[in-house]
Amino acid sequence: MKQAKTLIRCILLDGFIFTFLALVALVVSIQPTEETMLKMGNNVMIFFGLWALGGVLVFILQKAKIKTLGNILFDPPQALTAQPDKHWTMSFWGIELIVAFIVAFITGLNVAHISIYELTDQDGLVGAMKVFGALFDPNWTILPKAILAVIETIFIAFMATVFAVPVAFVLSFLCAKNIMGSNPVSFGIYATLRTILNVTRSIEPLIWAIVFSVWVGIGPFAGMLALLLHSVASLAKNYSELVECVEEGPIEAIVATGASSLQVVWFAVVPQIILPYTAFTIYRWDINVRMATIIGLVGGGGIGTMIMQYQGQAMWEEVGCLVFVIAFVVWVMDTTSAYIREAIK
Amino acid sequence: MSKTILQVKDLEKTYENGVKALKGVSFDVKEGEFLVIIGLSGSGKSTLLRCINNLHEPTGGQILFKDRNITRLNKKDSRTLRSEIGMIFQHFNLIPRYSVLKNALTGALYRTPILSSLFGFFSQEDKDKALNYLDLVGIKEKAHVRADQLSGGQQQRVSIARALTQGPQILLADEPVASLDPATCHTVMDYLKKVNRELGLTIICNLHFLSLVRQYADRVIALKEGKLVYEGDPKNIDQSWFEEIYGESAKEVHVN
Ligand SMILES: Nc1ncnc2c1ncn2[C@@H]1O[C@H](COP(=O)(O)OP(=O)(O)OP(=O)(O)O)[C@@H](O)[C@H]1O
Ligand SMILES: [Mg+2]
Repeated sequence: MKQAKTLIRCILLDGFIFTFLALVALVVSIQPTEETMLKMGNNVMIFFGLWALGGVLVFILQKAKIKTLGNILFDPPQALTAQPDKHWTMSFWGIELIVAFIVAFITGLNVAHISIYELTDQDGLVGAMKVFGALFDPNWTILPKAILAVIETIFIAFMATVFAVPVAFVLSFLCAKNIMGSNPVSFGIYATLRTILNVTRSIEPLIWAIVFSVWVGIGPFAGMLALLLHSVASLAKNYSELVECVEEGPIEAIVATGASSLQVVWFAVVPQIILPYTAFTIYRWDINVRMATIIGLVGGGGIGTMIMQYQGQAMWEEVGCLVFVIAFVVWVMDTTSAYIREAIK
Repeated sequence: MSKTILQVKDLEKTYENGVKALKGVSFDVKEGEFLVIIGLSGSGKSTLLRCINNLHEPTGGQILFKDRNITRLNKKDSRTLRSEIGMIFQHFNLIPRYSVLKNALTGALYRTPILSSLFGFFSQEDKDKALNYLDLVGIKEKAHVRADQLSGGQQQRVSIARALTQGPQILLADEPVASLDPATCHTVMDYLKKVNRELGLTIICNLHFLSLVRQYADRVIALKEGKLVYEGDPKNIDQSWFEEIYGESAKEVHVN
């Protein structure tokens, strides 16, 4: 049983490495046109065909008792000790690792268009120096405007956090396995909520901000809603993990007094989680301030929106002032929130 | 002779994972009695206590509390039952961040309206009661100290006060002194005995040390692998019974 599991994992991993190498070899040797590269159906077939072929090869290697990278990662510990002490770069898996890495690195250089030539190009360099110089020579006359905008940003973040806390608080109990795992109905609620929250969280607030700016119009409200949604999802996860590791003893004791479920949560669970909740909440506000800045770039209001406007007109001195203000505020928030979290630990 | 307060009849408990923790246990408890349950680790002592106050639902048999069957109660009735049965635990299970008084007051949760309790309002009567019981276990002067500032023995006394504040008719104690040093152990057991004598409260207590059993128990029952193997006077537990309960190779240890 265990062996079969390892074998499947090896076939998947080593087979994938084989597929990758084979694909790179294929692209380099055939030099396909852009048109062929975009033929999804064909390419998917080639991809899985190669993966299947790789799987067969790995299977043969496994039968021949040659240790692949997959074995090194997935074998149970006792199976590894029986290895002859050859230097790892001389073994099959070592060569596999080195080759895969080198090929991936070279492919990466090409895909990311990394080039020293571009980096040292005269025209580009002069342009960059101009922007950079301007950033370091901020136009302080817009400082009052910048301060008002950053206050807006801080409050967008603050409101998003304040609205998120009670929602996440309730959700955290519904998303905690130890509370919901006892019967099928509550487990269903638990699983559904978890999935919804996971999906919500995996979508960047930036995307939510775009959605909401269409919905309620560009501005701080859209930004707040985007952050709110993301904060609820993140806090509910943080909070529910805390609920999952509360101690059972006090809960049992309060249940034994004849208290109702609500009283049990309030008297036995809440006291155990209140401090870490607070710490997470402050941290979330801190994160929200940063995110609110970014969200502003797509029309979520506050100082981010201001940056976008000046940047669009290539007014780099003004942008420089804004960047300075943001850096300052983020630094202050970061330090205070870390300090407070440390203090209430 | 005093009345029977609790009758356990053919009690069985099989956990969801298939473990048969109790395999048909029967015994009676008299009002005002100090009953001690002994037995090896895993013999089902904790399970038995938790069945009595409905923390666990028995899978077979009956428990009669004052002649009323208390197995298979609905949610509300089982809360009522729990309020009538106090329980103390090996690890005290206090709320660490709360004051000693507030911990004792959680014993009054059942009769406090939910909303008041959430805002921390308890009736004056209950506060007086809680303070009174803290006094009884000799810890009244610590009423406003946080529970986690206390020593283990002190915490266990607070948890006795919490249970008493419920106004229970039976007090269950699951290895109340197992995590205390020998001296503190006696202090706590003495308070339990005091509660038993002065308030006439029936006590059912799981214990590990036979020397304590002999000193405090009115009567003792022994469990082995989920079955009752001994019932009687603690003084009559001799070497052969001891071996029967704890196995051939066991040796008795003493707490002085
Ligand atoms: N919640 C549970 N779920 C499943 N099995 C359990 C549960 N609680 C206890 N058991 C099992 O039931 C049996 C009896 O356990 P119980 O805790 O009642 O014994 P005990 O006599 O109190 O032991 P100890 O002296 O260690 O406290 C053990 O085999 C234990 O593993
Ligand atoms: Mg136990």
